[in-house]
Amino acid sequence: MNNWLLNNFWIKVTSLILAVITWFYVNEELIREKEMAKQLYKSSFMTQTYNPIHDKNP
Amino acid sequence: MNYLSLAKIIIEISLLWVVYYGILLFARGTRGVYVLRGIIVIALVFIITRQLGLERINWLLTKIFALSILAVLIIFQQEIRRGLANIGQRRWIRFFLKESEIIKEITSACSLLSKRKIGALIAIEREARLENYIESGIEIDTKVNAELLMTIFMPNTPLHDGGIVVSGERLAAAGCLFPLTQNPKVSPTLGTRHRAALGLSEETDAIVVVVSEETGGVSVAIGGRLTHDLDKESLERTLSDLYRPDKKNGK
Repeated sequence: MNNWLLNNFWIKVTSLILAVITWFYVNEELIREKEMAKQLYKSSFMTQTYNPIHDKNP
Repeated sequence: MNYLSLAKIIIEISLLWVVYYGILLFARGTRGVYVLRGIIVIALVFIITRQLGLERINWLLTKIFALSILAVLIIFQQEIRRGLANIGQRRWIRFFLKESEIIKEITSACSLLSKRKIGALIAIEREARLENYIESGIEIDTKVNAELLMTIFMPNTPLHDGGIVVSGERLAAAGCLFPLTQNPKVSPTLGTRHRAALGLSEETDAIVVVVSEETGGVSVAIGGRLTHDLDKESLERTLSDLYRPDKKNGK
């Protein structure tokens, strides 16, 4: 068990750090994408319900 | 956060960890390690600049990163092909390899070669791939056998001058060229064979066994260090410990 842990120790540590960084980065990107999709949905809904040209010239 | 989402996070990070570990192990000891280092640095700087909101630098790095990925795919297409081909072959069958038999064959060959003062250079592959060195020799791909090893190293035969590579349970190639050590601290009395053993052990994690043709002494090089004058028992013990570290202390 001890050997398993110590064998290629620094490669294991480096790959773990890279894995954690990647996970957090991708997680943040996914959250950002979801928020953007929400905003896009909201703005398209607004343009459908409110038409300024039509409101000004009925 | 409930247990399920925590478990999902752990599984995802573990999967990423395994992938990164495999890539780093695969690249270790090859020229790809330098390119990989460069990509990791660019990726880290890319993430940092994104977090800091440095948009122009980030845009620039995005282009460089995309280009470097393409460059890696083109430059290392052979290595990538080999690596993909190895998935599902090597790692999984390692558990079933008969390491002890291989070690016995190598030990008895070295012992006999030592008695006759016939020079030999044997590299045993561990985690880092030795494909580059296998390619420099003549591919054999056969079972490791003491008689065959002795025949290869017989003087005045075509393959006796280079080293042989043992990969997994196979004798992969003979007549291979290994890099010579550039360490200035190495004794000037050491011959080319020992320098090659040290050089390979510095660049990879391979175990390299050398039989001196002057003294008949058997040495083992690992991690840039040479252990001299091993007898048959100590060679077998050393190889068993190094080849299968988990066997140490009788585990």
